[in-house]
Amino acid sequence: MTALSLTINGRAHGPVEVRDDLSMNDFLREVLGMTGTKFGCGAAQCLSCVVIIDEPGGTSYTNPTCVVPAINFNGKHIRTVEGHAQGGVLTPLQTAFIEHFSFQCGYCTAGFLNEGQVLLERLAAEPIPRADLEQTILEALDGHLCRCTGYVRYHQAVRDVILADAARYLQAEAGMTGGAAPAAKGDRR
Amino acid sequence: MQPSRREFLKWGTVSGIVLSMSRYAGAQTPGFADGQGLSGGVPRSPAKGRVDGVAKVTGAKLYPSDFRAADMPGWPAETAHALLVRTPDATHIYDGIDLSALDAASRPAVVVTAEDLAKAGVKVPPFYAGDLFCPRGQTPLYLGQPVALLLFTSFDAYDRARTAFRNGNLLRFGVETGPIKQPNYAALRFTRVAGATPDAPDLYSPVQEGWVSPGFMESSGRPLWKPLPVAQGGDYAKGATFGEEIRQSLATPAPDMVVLDRTFETQSIDPMFLEPESGLAWFEPGSQTLDILLGVQSPFEIASAIAFLLGEAQPGFKPARIHARFTSIGGGFGGRDHTPFPLYVALAALFLPNHPVRLAHDRFQQFQGGVKRHAFQMRSQIAIDRTTGKMMAFAADHVLDGGGLANYSASVAVVGATAAIGIYDIPKVDVTTVAEHTRGVAAGSMRGYGTLQTMTALEVLIDEAARELKIDPIELRRRNLLKTGGRAMTGNPWTVSVRTPEILDKLAAHPIWRDRGARKAAARGVLVGTGVACCTKDYGTGADCSLGRVEIAPDGAITIHADAVEMGNGIGTSIARRVAAILGRTADSVNVARINTFDELGLVTSGDPYTMTQAEQDAAAKNPRWVPEISSATSASIGAHVGTQAAAQAARIVFRFGMWPAALELWGIKPGDPREFLFEEAFWQANELILSGLPPLAQAAVAARAHQRGDVTGAMAHAFSRWAWAQAAFPLGGMNWAADIDALAVRRGAGAFTVLDRSFVFFPPTDYNRIGTAFTSSCGTAVRIEITPASGLVRITDAYSVFECGEVLVPELVEGQAQGGFAMGVGYTLLETLPPFEDGPGNGRWNLGDYVVARASDLPLHKLEIEVLPPVSPKEPPKGMAEVVMIPIVPALLNAIHDATGHRFQSLPVTPDMLKRVLT
Repeated sequence: MTALSLTINGRAHGPVEVRDDLSMNDFLREVLGMTGTKFGCGAAQCLSCVVIIDEPGGTSYTNPTCVVPAINFNGKHIRTVEGHAQGGVLTPLQTAFIEHFSFQCGYCTAGFLNEGQVLLERLAAEPIPRADLEQTILEALDGHLCRCTGYVRYHQAVRDVILADAARYLQAEAGMTGGAAPAAKGDRR
Repeated sequence: MQPSRREFLKWGTVSGIVLSMSRYAGAQTPGFADGQGLSGGVPRSPAKGRVDGVAKVTGAKLYPSDFRAADMPGWPAETAHALLVRTPDATHIYDGIDLSALDAASRPAVVVTAEDLAKAGVKVPPFYAGDLFCPRGQTPLYLGQPVALLLFTSFDAYDRARTAFRNGNLLRFGVETGPIKQPNYAALRFTRVAGATPDAPDLYSPVQEGWVSPGFMESSGRPLWKPLPVAQGGDYAKGATFGEEIRQSLATPAPDMVVLDRTFETQSIDPMFLEPESGLAWFEPGSQTLDILLGVQSPFEIASAIAFLLGEAQPGFKPARIHARFTSIGGGFGGRDHTPFPLYVALAALFLPNHPVRLAHDRFQQFQGGVKRHAFQMRSQIAIDRTTGKMMAFAADHVLDGGGLANYSASVAVVGATAAIGIYDIPKVDVTTVAEHTRGVAAGSMRGYGTLQTMTALEVLIDEAARELKIDPIELRRRNLLKTGGRAMTGNPWTVSVRTPEILDKLAAHPIWRDRGARKAAARGVLVGTGVACCTKDYGTGADCSLGRVEIAPDGAITIHADAVEMGNGIGTSIARRVAAILGRTADSVNVARINTFDELGLVTSGDPYTMTQAEQDAAAKNPRWVPEISSATSASIGAHVGTQAAAQAARIVFRFGMWPAALELWGIKPGDPREFLFEEAFWQANELILSGLPPLAQAAVAARAHQRGDVTGAMAHAFSRWAWAQAAFPLGGMNWAADIDALAVRRGAGAFTVLDRSFVFFPPTDYNRIGTAFTSSCGTAVRIEITPASGLVRITDAYSVFECGEVLVPELVEGQAQGGFAMGVGYTLLETLPPFEDGPGNGRWNLGDYVVARASDLPLHKLEIEVLPPVSPKEPPKGMAEVVMIPIVPALLNAIHDATGHRFQSLPVTPDMLKRVLT
């Protein structure tokens, strides 16, 4: 048993004694009752279980929870699907997923939302050329499985959020004035 | 025999157990045990999107796997856990479980085996016939058959035991016996010989003569298909005689005929819905109530099946009442329709009374125990007139691997066989089909439902025939289309719009097809190929029904209840859209998976709608509460057509007998005014009711007046379809109002619902059960691919699917189904496969990683064009489309692979290794 302390969606949890082999997915779902993070395969293949890990330096990345012991998250700051909307307001990506009819059954949605959000934050910090956009989205989301939708509408939603605020996420193209607004690392606008 | 998609069901009380069913009311509301709810409350929904959109992007508890005892008001707080142990062996005697390998901290509190079920007196429902657990001392019936249910009062003990079972073989087996032999599930023959002219009656058809089965088996277990000169062959012999004549003509063709004789094999695959099956149940002996929460496509059926299971059980195992709650599901694709999993959820609760128990598959267990798509072996023969390009005769023989339980095997065999000639008009057809019992994991319903397999074989055959005849493949298809009014291979016409000519025109004109030669010639370093295919898919089962309840409040707010299940297809959104067109406002509340909100209809049923005689139906129909079936399973392909029907009809009644009289009063139109009956001319625009020449009326004002007048402000209806809607008339507004429903209750003003006796009813004749396909939608696909010879990798560069589905209720949902169907078609063609038997999923070692489904990078995300034909008229009703959009993808890809490589693959999937072998 190990004492586990971590921060989830800005709120401190623990210390709580957990088995060393308890998966992070089971810690979230069975211990905390936070079932927004899904269980799909238990083999880190479908990525419906990923959460966002926020690094002290301001960068973030996603990590599967189904094959990783909860104690590996000791001291981490994580975000889950339950933590995206703030003050009763959906994020632009959540809104875009709904308006694009991106999901059908929705079981993979938490994973896509976390991955897409991390991508947005990365591009806000390090804008890319417009020409690289579709390929960048593909590389970011390709690990995530969806059995219902054929992925098209997830990718369209992420792309449209970026294009709607191109100055933030994309490098200025030659001949255009202005450019990406300087964004602090970890900017979650 | 008549294969049935369902068994006998009754309403209200089954086997002496009172049933109640509801959607779990808390399911839409995010909320967590220790205050982990959403910051600032539930966000508002955007103006556009699905009705369940916010819940799904905020992590609300929606799916069966999300719920624990602590989430259920009134339940004990602690959740116990169940582990369903399945066998990886079906050729040796099962000799029990070795629990000594589990340490003390991971031992179960209770172990349930076949012997315990026998003592408890449970009775397996007929649809699920076969031992629920393999008894010790017997050879398991099939790979993946459960042998025991282990019940744990703590999660940690369960989790440790689950790991131990995954990592070590804790089951004991004795001597080798070989697999258990069981009778095959179905053997049927469909033969049709058309008359001399299109108008002449058929010389022989299944609709005329009934469906026939040979009833004789060879020593191998396969049926004997020849006509037999004995009594038992009676009716069969006549059909078989015609069939054998067709076979003879194919074996000895005239010189002007081209005959192709080919085999094709399809593989078993997993539906791979992303949420493994899960359920939660609590048996409280004091009140004798079994409370159960499930996520299935067929809620009414499974609740009834659980009642049947426990109906004759010993005291202590027979609840007095079952309260079943149903949630949204994380994908279905057919694989959650009539799955036995919920039976084990119920048993877990019964054997650990007072403890809420959760049973949840992990992915290994879902592969090992979930129903699969049938693998088919097919032989197809076709004769085509070399001069005219007309298809003259077709014969096929299908063998399905049904696995170890009957499930839907007979039905899939029928649907596959009766789809064997696809979109074509062929005057002589003879198709045999047999669904075999094997020791494999049980196969059942899955999107495409037999037609995916048989139409893939057909459309590849047609492509080859076109090359042989040197006729353009689209032109060959065009010359042979089944036209409106023509007879399908069971001898009945399709009774819906037939749009295949337009679909072929669209394919022919599309740049993918038009530019195929130039693109192939320009290829450098890769092999370029183009393929087309055009398919049709029936929708409906021949006994489909729908419950819908629509209410309008004095402020115009609309509330809808329906029995359909949300499986990702957006049924709630579709119902809301259809009702909004009638009542002028998008529903404020849509409640799906509801059975318990229709009590006022007082429905009763008896008999099996698939097998009952006309006399039985006529006698039963004299009871004004009788319907042939009360609630049927949800599938995405009938969502728009069936799932929305009752709510739409209820909305029409609210409009006609509530909103319309109120509007007349507001307009000052008196009785006798010729405009009194122009309700069909009125329409809604921006929440206002418009009738030419009169001032627009605000929807809320009309609703308020309807309430003041005490007119109809709510209606609940039941609809039934056996390839045509049942029709009935009801006393309303001083007349007999006829509609495509068979039961109705209405509410006036703020009053209670009152059931209305029907003054007339017409149920579709029971002879319609002989029909194969009557409702059908068509889809065509063109694809261009590039193959890298060194790697054998296939890249889909461009794709185009064009289809029709009548009225499009929600364009984004329809397009999304087509995009998802494309991805599933690609997976089936190039990626997914499960080997049979010991190397297959029944061994418990399969998971994603070994099993590969299509990812975004496998698809032409930005080069996939979807086109939906507009309805033939503004009044064309919605048609099912969620299955057909997957089917032509597969043969179009295979035809493109042939175009690129010159090699015609006759089995699935086509892997890079297979391609490399033929390219090097």
